[in-house]
Amino acid sequence: MDRRNFLKVTGGIAASLAATGLQAKEKQNDEEFVGVLTDTTRCIGCRACEKACGEAHDLLVPDVENDNALDNLRTPSEKQWTVVNRYETDVGEVFVKQQCMHCWQPACTAACLTNAMLKTKEGPVIWREGKCIGCRYCMASCPFNIPKYEYGSWNPKVQKCNMCYDRLQQGKKPACVEACPTGALMFGSKRELMEIARVRIYNHPEKYVHKIYGEHEVGGTGWLYLSGVPFEQIGFRTDLGTTPYPEYTKEFLYAVPLIFFGAPALLTGLHFLTKKDESSEE
Amino acid sequence: MESYSYINIFETKGLEYILLICFLLLFIYFVRYIFSSKKKADENMK
Amino acid sequence: MAGKNVLEIGTATPFKKGYKMDKKTIFFGEVKRFFKFILQEMKPRGKWLTPFNIISLPIMFIGFILLILRFVKGLGYATNLSQEFPWGFWIGFDVITGVAFAGGAYVITFVVYVMKVEKYHPIVKVTVLNGLLAYMFYAGALVLDLGKPWNIFNPIIGNSFGYNSVLFLVAWHFLLYMATEFLEFSPTIAQWLGWEKLQKILKSLTVGAVIFGITLSILHQSGLGALFLMAKSKIHPLWYSEFIPVFFFVSSIFAGLSMVIFEGTISHRVFKDKIDSKHHAAFDEIIFGLAKGAAITMFVYYFFKALVFIHGGQWSYLTDSWGIWYLFEVIGLVLIPCFMFAYGAKNRNLGIIRTAAILTMIGIILNRLNISIITFNWNIPAVYYPSWIEIVITLMIIFTEIWVFRWVVSRMPVFED
Ligand code: SF4
Ligand code: SF4
Repeated sequence: MDRRNFLKVTGGIAASLAATGLQAKEKQNDEEFVGVLTDTTRCIGCRACEKACGEAHDLLVPDVENDNALDNLRTPSEKQWTVVNRYETDVGEVFVKQQCMHCWQPACTAACLTNAMLKTKEGPVIWREGKCIGCRYCMASCPFNIPKYEYGSWNPKVQKCNMCYDRLQQGKKPACVEACPTGALMFGSKRELMEIARVRIYNHPEKYVHKIYGEHEVGGTGWLYLSGVPFEQIGFRTDLGTTPYPEYTKEFLYAVPLIFFGAPALLTGLHFLTKKDESSEE
Repeated sequence: MESYSYINIFETKGLEYILLICFLLLFIYFVRYIFSSKKKADENMK
Repeated sequence: MAGKNVLEIGTATPFKKGYKMDKKTIFFGEVKRFFKFILQEMKPRGKWLTPFNIISLPIMFIGFILLILRFVKGLGYATNLSQEFPWGFWIGFDVITGVAFAGGAYVITFVVYVMKVEKYHPIVKVTVLNGLLAYMFYAGALVLDLGKPWNIFNPIIGNSFGYNSVLFLVAWHFLLYMATEFLEFSPTIAQWLGWEKLQKILKSLTVGAVIFGITLSILHQSGLGALFLMAKSKIHPLWYSEFIPVFFFVSSIFAGLSMVIFEGTISHRVFKDKIDSKHHAAFDEIIFGLAKGAAITMFVYYFFKALVFIHGGQWSYLTDSWGIWYLFEVIGLVLIPCFMFAYGAKNRNLGIIRTAAILTMIGIILNRLNISIITFNWNIPAVYYPSWIEIVITLMIIFTEIWVFRWVVSRMPVFED
């Protein structure tokens, strides 16, 4: 092979390598996780999102006018994937919508032993009935206590928000976002939403606390929140840390193969060591 | 809003080492205490 | 004696050498003999109306009915589980605590088959049997707790492996470990059936099974602790630590040893006639040895706890009632029984050792329940306590296990060499 040919070949390989490298990058870029930004300063507590959610998923459709549900603090339940709560704060009433945070690295999917809980490549975390064995490890692990269980059923489901995964695939927005009359909910990629949230804080520094809940919490979540009062006052846990939850079990799971290689070797060694001792004694 | 402060995660290392040394010393005595039994018992039996 | 009885039945087969039979007849004859033998062994022996039977039979019966109701009506009917407490008594006590107590099997097999300390040989079979049954019943209790148990094949046959899950690992290890325990115990079964050749083959596999079993035990004992690593925001910081897996593993050693002491003491009373006198005399020596082992592991465990405590800088937590509860567990039910074991082993005092074993067992139960139930969700108002149905079904599981244990022990040569 002469020099020129060699160069050609290597050049070709290099070029194709570079191309695949680019491809990989591009792939990552257009698979941005989607999320929703909740601006609690814009929420008026009309609970249209609760209603829309119930209708979209065949769950309980609350009677918003008459049920006085805002009087109590509620959590999402096995009948309602999302609820709105009212908090009395320094700046008056604040309404907060609650649902699954669609963590970037969810505890629930790391917990699930059948991958019934799944982080989809689009971003929403969904639950798949045919796989679930009903062990409720996802419930024990979720830092936000989101997955709920149908204890009353012989064939129980795990219920939690799936960010309207089916609607997203039809190119629609989540039902709650569409139903919101004030624009308190906004759907988009997390990158876009972060930019919008920062702009709002920047333009109205007196109106917002300078923190976006969900930016770093438990490694970042798909659902983001803006608030006018410190987040502790409106029912958020701010002590969860920024470590993604699967990291907590990572070391243990790494250690498993090590022990599996190491322990039998050690034990077999010990076995033969003690054996030799015996025979020499005899 | 978010405050950035330095957290020294090795603050307690000194104490931990002290504990470790205490442990090792106590452990020797503890094991010796336990295994001193055999001889004594044998002597008693004799 | 049961063993001799068995041998007689085993040799009383109708074929002798020299007879020429075609394979089919031999085979069917053997099968027939096998079923006849099993049927005969199924019959109860001894008195029926013992106090234990009178208490346990009704509970087992009610428990069985409740169990059916639980599957028909759902978990909510039978348990006090809630959205805040997804795991209750069945997981916290039956599975997690039960498996910790079954740790004796891997410790004793390690000592006997790997370290070759012959002194403990007499108890190895019964300990393995105990471990096997404990896994079958207590780890099996996991299935009662599943909402969709029929989907359990998903993670087992592999149409949906969640490799990333600690529970996946634990469930698989339970299965594999049950198989290895069965293999370790199988020579005794073969001996009972009078299949000598098979017994020899199975016996030759024991050491391999033991080594595999110890490895599995290390991993799933610690894995049970690792289940709670992701409940960081829910468990009280005095109990949560990234070292929970190590704690669970180390404490399973002395939990298992205490259980062996406790269980051995009882079965030596109950099955007195099955144990020869030589064995009886050796048993006290064995208990002293086990007590030494327990004392040392507990000592190490205690200091390890202290290390994690200091590293976490958790002094401020000690002031409220959680702190007192923590000290009670760690000092009252670890350090004190540790010294009692040491004292008892040195002064050859069986009474103190037995008390220490019971205290240690209470300590283990508390520790496991503290992590899985009592301090779980300590920071929210909701509380959980087991419903009576959960308790009855748990009792049913325990009693059934004891029944099976009794059945096996009074038929198979478990206490003999
Ligand atoms: S909030 Fe909970 S349920 Fe939702 S993705 Fe995160 S861990 Fe899973
Ligand atoms: S309850 Fe279902 S979804 Fe949740 S961890 Fe268990 S198998 Fe997975």
